[in-house]
Amino acid sequence: MIKYKKDTDNIVTLILDMSHRNDNVINHEIGQAFLPVLKHLQQEKKKGTLRGIILTSAKKRFLAGGDLEYLYHAQDANEIFQFADGLKQFLRDLESPGVPVVAAINGDALGAGFELALGCHHRIVIDNPKIKVGLPEVRLGLIPGSGGIVRLMWLLGIERAFDILSSGLRYRPKDALRVGIIDELAKNQKEMMEKARHFLLHTREGRRPWDQEQGRIPGGTAKEPEMAKRIRILATQLAKETYRNYPAQQAILNILSEGSKVDFDTACRIGTRYYTQLVLSPACKNMIKAFWFDYKSIKEGEKRPKGFGRFRPRKVGIIGAGLMGSGIAYACLLNGLEVVIKDVSRLVAERGRMYAKERIQKALAQNTIAKEEAESMLARITTTEDPSEFESCDLVIEAVFENAQVKQKVTREAEAYMDDYSVLASNTVSIPITELAQNSLRPDHYVGLHFFHPADQVPLVEIVKGAKTSEETIARAFDFVNVIKKIPIVVKDDWGFYAARVQNTFILEGITLLQEGCPPALIENLSLQAGMPKGALSLADDLGLAMVLKYEHQAAAHYGNKYIQHPAVAVLQTMIDDLQRTGKFKKAGFYQYEEGKPPQFWQDLSDHYPLAKKSFQASEIIERLLIAQVIEAVWCLQENVIRSIPEANLGSIFGWGFPAFKGGVIQYIHDYGVDAFMKRCHQFKKKHGQRFSTPKKLRELIAKDLLD
Amino acid sequence: MSEAYIFDALRTPRGRGKTSGALYEVKPIDLLATTLTALKERNQIPTQEVDDVLIGCVTPIDDQGYNIAKAGLLHADWAESVGGMQINRYCASGLEAVNLAASKVRSGWESLIVAGGIESMSRVPIGSDGGALMYDPELINSVKFVPQGIAADLIATIEDFDREILDEYALSSHQKAANAWEAGYFEGAIIPIFDRNGLPLLKQDEHIRPDTSLERLAQLTPSFSEMGEYGFDALAKQAFPMVSQVRHVHTAGNSCGIVDGAALLLIGNEQKAQELDLKARARIVAAANISVNPTIMLTGAAPASEKALRLAGMKKSDIDLWECNEAFASVVLKYQRDLDIDPDTLNVNGGAIAMGHPLGATGAILLGTLLDELERRDLQTGLVSLCVGGGMGVATIIERV
Repeated sequence: MIKYKKDTDNIVTLILDMSHRNDNVINHEIGQAFLPVLKHLQQEKKKGTLRGIILTSAKKRFLAGGDLEYLYHAQDANEIFQFADGLKQFLRDLESPGVPVVAAINGDALGAGFELALGCHHRIVIDNPKIKVGLPEVRLGLIPGSGGIVRLMWLLGIERAFDILSSGLRYRPKDALRVGIIDELAKNQKEMMEKARHFLLHTREGRRPWDQEQGRIPGGTAKEPEMAKRIRILATQLAKETYRNYPAQQAILNILSEGSKVDFDTACRIGTRYYTQLVLSPACKNMIKAFWFDYKSIKEGEKRPKGFGRFRPRKVGIIGAGLMGSGIAYACLLNGLEVVIKDVSRLVAERGRMYAKERIQKALAQNTIAKEEAESMLARITTTEDPSEFESCDLVIEAVFENAQVKQKVTREAEAYMDDYSVLASNTVSIPITELAQNSLRPDHYVGLHFFHPADQVPLVEIVKGAKTSEETIARAFDFVNVIKKIPIVVKDDWGFYAARVQNTFILEGITLLQEGCPPALIENLSLQAGMPKGALSLADDLGLAMVLKYEHQAAAHYGNKYIQHPAVAVLQTMIDDLQRTGKFKKAGFYQYEEGKPPQFWQDLSDHYPLAKKSFQASEIIERLLIAQVIEAVWCLQENVIRSIPEANLGSIFGWGFPAFKGGVIQYIHDYGVDAFMKRCHQFKKKHGQRFSTPKKLRELIAKDLLD
Repeated sequence: MSEAYIFDALRTPRGRGKTSGALYEVKPIDLLATTLTALKERNQIPTQEVDDVLIGCVTPIDDQGYNIAKAGLLHADWAESVGGMQINRYCASGLEAVNLAASKVRSGWESLIVAGGIESMSRVPIGSDGGALMYDPELINSVKFVPQGIAADLIATIEDFDREILDEYALSSHQKAANAWEAGYFEGAIIPIFDRNGLPLLKQDEHIRPDTSLERLAQLTPSFSEMGEYGFDALAKQAFPMVSQVRHVHTAGNSCGIVDGAALLLIGNEQKAQELDLKARARIVAAANISVNPTIMLTGAAPASEKALRLAGMKKSDIDLWECNEAFASVVLKYQRDLDIDPDTLNVNGGAIAMGHPLGATGAILLGTLLDELERRDLQTGLVSLCVGGGMGVATIIERV
């Protein structure tokens, strides 16, 4: 498990190599395995026959993080605390004054894996951009639990540590060096080991800043007035960004503030107490469920049609160089694909290249890509007005404006030149794929690929299966989405597919509140407090009220005489027909829009929707706004609009910004407790209307979701 | 005039006031909030019924600064209508908070008050708040202001208490405290401290040494002789020229321990007791404060007690049990001698030498301990007093009802 080598300079190399595993992970075993090694090293130290230690790995990755399966199920505070404390003690033994230790990082070192590296006196990483290092725990609602926060604070100061920890970024070696979490880069394995030896031969004693009498936290502690003021600002910024829904980020700031005032070991212990609390918190369990288990289930292709070989697209055609088309093109470029961008003229198509150029320049300025990479990306762009350029494309994605005839025309033009194996995709948001594929030459190769704006940033793509779309085409679409490193969810060819349909219920609930006389500011602010990215009314304006109404009309058509009109429909009709306020596009919706000013509520809004005398309870409004979405998502499951819970959850988080700390729409029910949730829906149904009645199969549908 | 009654008294265990102490990792507002929550739950009081919260704190800076009373209330999620005030009468702050609460209740302007104190000496060290009486060269030389340890040694010198008699007193404090813990006398008042996950941090006073002995105490070196040599002895002698040499007899063993802790009492009038179904345990009979010579500083407890007795129209013999804060052994021995108190009725369950002196909280702790013991022994009256920096002294008399 740990290979021990000692050379003539008394330098010991410890090679991590956990048996029966692809990766070295931090678990109960590793501490046990290190115990005798540490003992032996201590004896060597005493004898004076130990100059230094190099810690490295025999695996592709240096050391993967903690055991998330364990953490997801962990329920006992004492056990969690003791485990983290044990690991902390191990790191403390490793770094305690005496023999210097170098982490020779030959592969990914993330989370607890990077905590081990931080427990060494010096960190050298092979400069391979594929290697990622960092502390991304916060993305799972967690924090480093074994002193990593306090070590980082002592190395970089409170503010820089907070940036790194609260963003949870994974760094390529060059970036890691730039932000200061590693000490050196090496060209290759050989140079890494040489540099490690060089460091050890020139370092007499390994003593961390926090173990030095004169050691100081760079930039000062929270006791110092200047830093205290900074922390106050950081705290308010955090509240502004997270609405206090993400306890991990708050915990990081608390630990940095409290920990800077006390000694290192006490600071670490305070950190472990917060860690324990977070592991037990609903937000953390929800986020591990969504971003680890659900993500894995989707990425491992649970819902990819079986039996079809891997599709390896090289060249992608994009029809339409608008924002959406350009964004899709850029997402393809980022992942090594060639793109052909076509529009009505080559000049117009060039907008796609301009978009990519701007993004690349920004990335260069931020140092997130190398110059060669940038050049290669630009070289892979072709712009054209001629559909024959699609001849060698493996996939063509149509992203022109939302008009069925235009869409059909441009795709037919493209099809004429595409070979029989290639896939044709439409990025429509509201026109059924079955309808668009009607006149297609190969409707079985026709699929919906619904990207979300901005397409190069939102990590979700809805794959829409038309009536004639073949399973093989779905499999290929799935593979393509994976190639551009996005999350594929397969959805039914119904109105609004999945994301837009469920999101619409949030908007409608917000509008209903307005109609009830709820102050519009309350609707918007509580939307944000609920964890939604935008207020319901503001979102309605963005989408256009006609679109919001169109989705609801489609729902009405779908349910026929079973449909019960949503109370928001009347408001939408009044706004559109009587008041001519159709949304942001016309600079007139629930808000009024003036150049150079932030949008403000329409000044006459309260004349049409006067405030009610009754008072509104904040917690109830928040629940209404979220539960409306949850119920619709369950309908989607029942109607096979979405086929799995992982897809429903991640689709909700990435598709329209359902709160991540709830773990997505279905996890919301587990978090609430199914019985309590049903009870609440029942109360809402009585009080607010039929739309809060729950699908009959709810329990059955979500029961499959329980992880053992 | 309405009487002021004590309904409840509780405290945290006291943690060693060092980085190795069990409460060092606990924020002062957490300590305070823990006691506030316990007080609320034990007495089932709707917090909006409380008129005010008075909290003694002697070093009210950093984590204890900016009015820790209100901070603690908000942290404990009490009704926002409840105000809080932090006060500082040095070592008697916790008792002064009680006396102030009693005065407010007796005035009729307020009817239910929480009074007590908090001090995390590990987090916010004594003297770290600066201050003129401590550091202004003009003032300290003109009033001949010396450190309290020097003042305690000056008392011992003048009163002719030798090292042995002080150590014997210290030993008895440890023995009595250990005995009281073992017998469970403190159980009803103690609110154990847990971390944010409910994992235990401290359940008992951490400073106490049940196994100490006269031999061990004798081995300790005097704490204040070096300080005396700097010139403080000379300064003390300028105030007390009759003294030929200050004898340094106080050590870490016969002085109070530096600890972290918090304590609260619930005080109110009879009407409130009926409304909220609270049981009055004792009546606050009288309270007094005085001040004496600032150099010898620590002799104020006796005159404060005499003043309180006078105000109450009581004689010393009317008092069943006495508490005098064990700031230093010489302070208690002089107090006992000055008032001619039966040693068996004074500090019967030990004191700050054994269990520590969390500055702002101690007065409240002592009053609670006294009341518990009166009940246990089924006695009626008790008097608490503390010597205080700057020469002050504070005393409170209670009577069970």
